[in-house]
Amino acid sequence: MKVGFLHSLIRKDEKLLIDEFRKRDDIDLVLIDDRKLTFDLNDKPDVDVVLERSINHSRAMHGLCLFESVGVRCINSYEVSRICGDKILTSVALKQNSVPQPEVRIAFTEESALQAIEELGYPAVLKPAVGSWGRLLSKVNDRDAAETVLEHKTILGSYHHSIFYVQKYVKKNGRDIRSFVVGDECIAAIYRTSDHWITNTARGAVATGCPVTNEIAEISLNATKAVGGGIVAVDLFESEQGLLVNEVNYTMEFKNSIDTSGVNIPEKIASHVIAVMRT
Amino acid sequence: MSECPVCGAQVEITADAVVGELLECGDCASELEIVGLEPTVLAEAPETEEDWGQ
Repeated sequence: MKVGFLHSLIRKDEKLLIDEFRKRDDIDLVLIDDRKLTFDLNDKPDVDVVLERSINHSRAMHGLCLFESVGVRCINSYEVSRICGDKILTSVALKQNSVPQPEVRIAFTEESALQAIEELGYPAVLKPAVGSWGRLLSKVNDRDAAETVLEHKTILGSYHHSIFYVQKYVKKNGRDIRSFVVGDECIAAIYRTSDHWITNTARGAVATGCPVTNEIAEISLNATKAVGGGIVAVDLFESEQGLLVNEVNYTMEFKNSIDTSGVNIPEKIASHVIAVMRT
Repeated sequence: MSECPVCGAQVEITADAVVGELLECGDCASELEIVGLEPTVLAEAPETEEDWGQ
């Protein structure tokens, strides 16, 4: 059986997955570099399933749309990538499925965004609707900072920075939780700890083991179901109101979480993809 | 082994290397991409783009 592996750069995460698939004698792994791909809408690629591992959200999402359009099953699905790749769509999906999240406001102009921030109260966090690795996040502590950031985003940003996603700042005591969901199971979790208010490991946060409690598993699985299921990493805040879902990531990065969690995450992913392909 | 395009140092290429794989030069710490095999060709890895990562 043929597993298509949609990728661009092969990071350590992708290499671990490739190694895992290549251990399986009955699997033919077909590497599909999105930088070299030309897609014919009338031609079905010769693969039984596609596992998406592109580093660019835009290529990943549209690639999944194209593969699904010719009848190729994809993991994750185009719909999951569309929702998870956009924080606004993610918040809507979480809300529709009663999954707790920090309070958010969405606004489309500088003036209405300032009103939204003031409704939430200071500090508030401005995030690009599409973005990752903690980039271009702004914690605005007062009206002066809010006005400055909004003006800069409006004048200097590309068009999608003029859609304002505002989140109430959650005091998280220097850490958040990233949980890993594969299919119907929350397989692992880590704490991400930092002195900085941004706790992405890409921004220097330190990963340590976190037991998968019933509460973590339940909210992680509910969040996964809300965005359409599959293989995702769920970012959680520990708040006074309990766990809140901050983000759901659909091309999850896990290389720093294998030793930390003690779980062979690439093995779990490969086994899931093969199991789905055989159903 | 292959030559780092930035500093000229020799970079070890493993037997299971694949095109597109990222490496770091042990001498200058540049992030490199394997853009060809047989013969191995290294290039500087592309700069981070706005929609990269999760």
